[in-house]
Amino acid sequence: MCYVIKYNLVVRFGNKDLAKYPFLKEAFSYIVKYDFKLEDLDSRDYQHLIDKATKKIEQYLFFGKCEYQINYSKTHETIVQEEVIIFIISLLLIKSISIQAVTKKFALLESMRFEKYLISDLNTANQDDKTIKLILYKIFEDLFSTKILLEVDIYNFYKIRITDYLDHPIAFQEKEWNLVNRTLHNGFVYLDGTEIVRLFRNELYLLIIDRIQKMSIDRIPDTIMAISKSIKKRWEQMHPSINEPAYNVVTPPCIQHIYDQISKGENLPHPARLLLGTFLIYSNKTLEEMLDLFKRLPDFDEKITRYQLEHLAGKKGSSKRYYVPSCEKIKLENLCYETRICQGISNPIQLVRKKSDI
Amino acid sequence: MSDTSSFDFNESGKNGKHTSKYQNAEPDDKNKNWLEGVFRRYYFYHYSQIELGELINEHEFGFRLFDGKIRRHLAFNDKKELYAYIIKFSPSDIFYSSSRYQNPKAEIDQKGWIGSDLIFDIDGKDLHLECAQSHNLVLCRDCSFISKGIIPKCAGCNSTRLQIIDMPCSRCIKSLTGEVKKLTEILKDDFGIVSESIFIYFSGNNGYHIHVVDKNFYGISAQKRSAFAQYLMGKGYLIENLGIRKNTDGVLTPMHNKVQYNQGWRRRIFDSMHLPIQNHRIDDKFVKKYVRMLDAKNNNTNDIISTNIFDLSAKIDPNVTMDIHRIFRLAGSINSKSGLIKAFCKDLDSFNPFVDACFVGGDSNVKIDSKLNIKISLKGKQFSLKPGANTIPEYVAAYVVCKGIGDIQ
Repeated sequence: MCYVIKYNLVVRFGNKDLAKYPFLKEAFSYIVKYDFKLEDLDSRDYQHLIDKATKKIEQYLFFGKCEYQINYSKTHETIVQEEVIIFIISLLLIKSISIQAVTKKFALLESMRFEKYLISDLNTANQDDKTIKLILYKIFEDLFSTKILLEVDIYNFYKIRITDYLDHPIAFQEKEWNLVNRTLHNGFVYLDGTEIVRLFRNELYLLIIDRIQKMSIDRIPDTIMAISKSIKKRWEQMHPSINEPAYNVVTPPCIQHIYDQISKGENLPHPARLLLGTFLIYSNKTLEEMLDLFKRLPDFDEKITRYQLEHLAGKKGSSKRYYVPSCEKIKLENLCYETRICQGISNPIQLVRKKSDI
Repeated sequence: MSDTSSFDFNESGKNGKHTSKYQNAEPDDKNKNWLEGVFRRYYFYHYSQIELGELINEHEFGFRLFDGKIRRHLAFNDKKELYAYIIKFSPSDIFYSSSRYQNPKAEIDQKGWIGSDLIFDIDGKDLHLECAQSHNLVLCRDCSFISKGIIPKCAGCNSTRLQIIDMPCSRCIKSLTGEVKKLTEILKDDFGIVSESIFIYFSGNNGYHIHVVDKNFYGISAQKRSAFAQYLMGKGYLIENLGIRKNTDGVLTPMHNKVQYNQGWRRRIFDSMHLPIQNHRIDDKFVKKYVRMLDAKNNNTNDIISTNIFDLSAKIDPNVTMDIHRIFRLAGSINSKSGLIKAFCKDLDSFNPFVDACFVGGDSNVKIDSKLNIKISLKGKQFSLKPGANTIPEYVAAYVVCKGIGDIQ
């Protein structure tokens, strides 16, 4: 076998559940025992699985949506095997496309798919259903090295040791996830069901990216290579590099940093979207031009983005037009990347005005 | 010798700005020589007052000498070696790392950090107390004139090159004690740290150091320590966590029936606002009381909540908590800014720094020249100094000379 991936999980639950969580070690063991090899993917026997993985990726990348359905009309064992193989094919395709923005968009939407399964499992399980909670605990403990406990005094609250919680990058990335904005009691951070699932998605997103980046493959099967080339070409046609500004226009460093993040496929925090949106509106960009830029974000949803941009421009909602945040506000949001050209300004738009005045 | 910025200059001149009073002193400077002798005698006869934990060979030591020189990255195999060094050099200040290292003598990045207790520093200066404005002194760096009370310009020569001399009073100490209690309550309630793991020390001048000795927190990174500090200070707290959010008119409105675990900051804030939360839910009773409060306070909920957060927050220095390579004043050693000891507070309520942090011995009388009229209370006795010659016990003279408000004759 020429493909190596680390799975170090043992979770004991029903076969059907495993199909929804193909990244778990137990699920992976289903294909190991049937001696599946990557070279097998060149055989026609696997074509239907390759097609399914390709369709899923195309939906993610080009339409930003997930309509993937697990086919439950087979035996439990086959369902799990197929889901694991589809997951591996997906990772292989993304790895061979080798574009950072594609990897991140895939990771985000794939982790959102697993998040949906988890939410559905948690919602359908009754209060005393220990099996589904066990899945949750085991995923966190084995995959993310975090021990989750259920708070016994109040229903549907989970708790994680403070130092374990701070091992999760999200605790430092987003304000609402900072320790100061969490409920702490007796050495634990308390999270409700929705928050625990959100934490799961964020961790899984990072884990998928990590898995793709660390995949070590000697030879990618020809079938996979051909598909990945075609997806890559289509992506590059849809996403030419972000236009360089005209020569007499200065791009403030904070805005340039956002452009760079978008190019890398990073998902922007809310304050960065607000800054970019207001800045583009100020720069008299059309709605379509703005959407062109925002559609590169991994979680792009045209309807929501369109509404939000119109709202910022004062064309929807309260009719209040939002102005570009001040440098002080930008600094507070950790979005400032000040350089020498920023000297003496209090709002990034002053740089644009300054240059236009010359 | 290196980064003095991580020295714990607790009361003034943080980040290495503190310099010894005797840095540019002549070799025969009377104050310097006398203090050096007093300190040496203290360490010679009372070295057992110095508090040292286990594995002292894994800690970094640092010293400030009376000539202003700083020696860092020192390590000692055992207590005897350390005592010999202290008695030989009679340092003005002794520091040691809370961190343990594989190689404490190496430069910071080569030391091999093992772990560190969690440390919090509460400094009287950061409390901006009203009383301090009137009883602190100001020394003019140009004409050496000393004024009472904080003033913008020297009363003698109009210079603005002024240095504040902290003269904490019992009210300052009471406020500091209140802050320490507030911090320890949050550590216990929210972080689950037991009282037995919390050690409180008077810094020797105008503050307290709180050491948390708990294996659960010993190995945590500077980034996590910074998150702890941010939490304790309530910095960046979002009002939405309370279950209150802005409605379309911009008015902060409770989310009716919202269930949130009522502990941590949320419980503390609601308790202090006298807003009751039953079963973790925002119920009718809560909303009624909230609306009444809004009417009474002109709808200014944001300000009310912010004020409550400020009052409830721990007034710690976040840089001290997050700096895992900082060296701290050694407990039991003399603070050269006051002549008092960094002392362990077994019982915070009964601890009186002006009695319990005075160094042992030093009862023989000496003569000093006081620069001003001032009353000093130490070891339960009050001393009224008049400008000019005064005869006072050695421990009082050490306080006066260390503060720079009198000279040894």
